[in-house]
Amino acid sequence: MSLALKSAGGQRVIRQLCFLPVEAEQQQQTRPSQAAPPEPYTTIAKTGSNQLSLETPRNNAEYVLSTLDKVANWARQGSMWPMTFGLACCAVEMMHMAAARYDQDRLGVVFRASPRQSDIMIVAGTLTNKMAPALRKVYDQMPEPRWVISMGSCANGGGYYHYSYSVVRGCDRIVPVDIYVPGCPPTAEALLYGMLQLQRKMRRSRKGVLWYRK
Amino acid sequence: MSLYRTLRNLQKEGLKTWWRQLQYIGDAKSGTFVGADQFGNRYYENRNGEEEVPGRHRWVDYAQHEYNATQVPPEWHSWIHHIRTDPPAADPIIQNLTPPWQAPYVENLTGTRGAYKSYNTAKPKISAWEPKVASRS
Repeated sequence: MSLALKSAGGQRVIRQLCFLPVEAEQQQQTRPSQAAPPEPYTTIAKTGSNQLSLETPRNNAEYVLSTLDKVANWARQGSMWPMTFGLACCAVEMMHMAAARYDQDRLGVVFRASPRQSDIMIVAGTLTNKMAPALRKVYDQMPEPRWVISMGSCANGGGYYHYSYSVVRGCDRIVPVDIYVPGCPPTAEALLYGMLQLQRKMRRSRKGVLWYRK
Repeated sequence: MSLYRTLRNLQKEGLKTWWRQLQYIGDAKSGTFVGADQFGNRYYENRNGEEEVPGRHRWVDYAQHEYNATQVPPEWHSWIHHIRTDPPAADPIIQNLTPPWQAPYVENLTGTRGAYKSYNTAKPKISAWEPKVASRS
């Protein structure tokens, strides 16, 4: 019973977060614990969004295009090649992600030390003013589509060195960032989870449908 | 992982479960159903060392197609990561010591509209330059 109450409370919280109407609160609270599993929070958060509209094809052309998009997304998420931009101690955790325990290879993630052949950049560590032009140049050399993962407090927002005279206060001042991984340094597990979140982001891409609707 | 094990678990679990496991877990597993959480995720265990490698003997069958590890609520997280021996329903500490004011568990909503967005309530220290042209007389 307490579990059912909790999930009902969670639905209410989510609906408030997404500015959706809170409905049938009393009914949900009196529901017995053996009822069907509740609507997932992600589904509630998606209600009425642009993303849901893009993912719901309106006609045959959109159906074909969204299927092609899904195939492209599948191919992209299956072979993410990160450009290693190890700047500080976060780089050690990034290496741990490649090592035997977390084993990024099983996700098709292979470090590629050339920007021209990689599609993700993991900014691991403190970005200093001196390094910033180099980071931007490497980012510019990467082919589209490209993603950036900001790893650790220093890359996210300066972190410990936020008030230093020689540190960029967050690598999002230099390059557009897709995923922020918090931590100082984040564990290899956290970074791997960040990679999985990036896969989730890649799966949401519907470029073909967007092009068609324009 | 061996062909024998895969076929044995196919025979034990049935074709439907076996196919679902191959799609979502990537491995054919067979074990006892331990419980389900409030989101409908199902938890399994097989403590036979001959059938499952120790460390892979507890697993979850996610309810959602787009699954990720944060969909496991904390009570079951402690079970599936071997922090606690017993599942939450059988664990006296989790049963007695879960406070009534505990907030409902919500999975990671990164990338959805429920995602956390930081905000600042302090007055900005710098402001943009708004030029005012003085009239020429």
